[in-house]
Amino acid sequence: MKTFLALTRRELGVYFVSPMAYIILTALLAIAGGMFFIAMRNAAAQQLPVDFSQTLAVIVYIVVLTSPLVTMRLIAEEKNKGTLEIMLTAPISDAAFVLAKFAAAMVLLAYLLVLTLGYLVIISRYGLVDTGAVVCGYFGVFLVGAVIYSIGLFVSSLCGSQITAGVITLALALLLVIAQLIAGTLAEGSFCNEVLAYIDIPTNFGDFLRGVVDRTRLVYLTSVIAFFLFLTTRILESRRWR
Amino acid sequence: MIEVSNLTKTYPGVLAVDELSFKVEKGEIVGFLGPNGAGKSTTMRILTCFLAPTSGSARLSGFDVVEQSMDVRRRVGYLPESNALYTEMRVEEYLLFRARLRDIPSGDRRTRVGEVLDKVRLADRRRSIIAHLSKGLRQRVGLADAILHRPEIVILDEPTIGLDPTQVRDVRELIRGLGQSHTVLLSSHILSEVEKVCGRVLILNRGRLVESGTPDEIANRLMKTGRVRLEIRGDGRTIKEALEKVPGVLRILWSGKGDLQTYLVEPKDGLDLRPQLMRASAAGGWDVYELGFERLSLEEAFAILTEAPSKGPGA
Repeated sequence: MKTFLALTRRELGVYFVSPMAYIILTALLAIAGGMFFIAMRNAAAQQLPVDFSQTLAVIVYIVVLTSPLVTMRLIAEEKNKGTLEIMLTAPISDAAFVLAKFAAAMVLLAYLLVLTLGYLVIISRYGLVDTGAVVCGYFGVFLVGAVIYSIGLFVSSLCGSQITAGVITLALALLLVIAQLIAGTLAEGSFCNEVLAYIDIPTNFGDFLRGVVDRTRLVYLTSVIAFFLFLTTRILESRRWR
Repeated sequence: MIEVSNLTKTYPGVLAVDELSFKVEKGEIVGFLGPNGAGKSTTMRILTCFLAPTSGSARLSGFDVVEQSMDVRRRVGYLPESNALYTEMRVEEYLLFRARLRDIPSGDRRTRVGEVLDKVRLADRRRSIIAHLSKGLRQRVGLADAILHRPEIVILDEPTIGLDPTQVRDVRELIRGLGQSHTVLLSSHILSEVEKVCGRVLILNRGRLVESGTPDEIANRLMKTGRVRLEIRGDGRTIKEALEKVPGVLRILWSGKGDLQTYLVEPKDGLDLRPQLMRASAAGGWDVYELGFERLSLEEAFAILTEAPSKGPGA
């Protein structure tokens, strides 16, 4: 546990030493802020309560599309620079090593999301906040973020260069974002159509925005996370039996 | 301390380590010597549990590298050839981080880091960012990390590679100092390097152990072989052809100035061919001006042993 925390802390430190965290932060606050501004203005013009779900939807897109920046270097860089060798010859289990990387990425995500809570403070000054929907929405962002980060971590463990890892992760992230669009062009009820509709991120996230936590979705998303973290650990271990 | 038996490691299409067996006793400083690609790094990576052997076994302090990997890792300090460090960290911060990973109690960490920094003479650079340090200083950070947890066994892969002569001497001193309290296994492809610090040398070639012993023993054994130097007056080509017919001759290098010819005769299997060559010259009716035995330098012997292309004088 102590080693896990030490690893997580150093990993988190790297985000703030490099420009990564700041780039993502800027993108997130600028775009989500713009969205929030529009939502506020519409609400004021129509004398209606502010709809925060649009802002949350935008946040999800940004989290997913900036995920390569968060995950690409995690393992690929260590392989490339050779630091993997000093880390994996220290008494650290492969699983702790992988989980610490994932945890660092999740802490970064939590940090980014905490900063967007400012919007809620503004809403609460002028109207009511639908706490249930908001909590549920944030939970959804966090979960979707965890899914895409675990995929990114896995890709990073496969690649020897972080650029390759980044490009592949971005391609996968895009696929997950537009899966529903592609599904729409396929025959209704076909296998591909169903799979694509199922993995589509906006679809998966939609329920959370409405304040609904569907148990099948929850199981699906958490198993995807667990699956990719497990695969990443196996990939690291594979250096010993390849 | 280190027991390796029939260790084999294959990469797809490459046999990197081939049935390697050796032992290192407690307190020894042993040098791994061999040309590039001889399997030194691969063996070290297996000993440090980074890779697993294809077959065979290795035990460090009695623990198996495959079955008891964590016990081995706790007892081994390792400086990989790349000496990759987290360069964005400061020297002291990095070592404290490593100390935490090594489970050194929090109360001891600072003193321990201070100790090793003194030992590698980096105390005045403790606040420097590693990325800003020169290669030699980084090497010392790597060394500090390798001895931080007072390991029983220290494994150093090419610890002096890429350093300038002063730094090489510094690192060598450091390693010699380590020998008092640790068992050290270090690798190098430079013979003179290993000769100066190691009590015992293991010479590897193509994944196999080809020689082992103290540097003196190896030198004596290797330098029994030598070549014969001949100076003969006469027609160069005819003499060369005649000498080549002498049984046991491997190769003849010929250089001639006017009438006087010089030959360097390399024998097969370390034979001493002086009498035979003398007789052959006499039979041909040529006058011999000089007949001498030239010992190989240790470097040359090493080159022959590891089958690297050797460059003799006159070649």
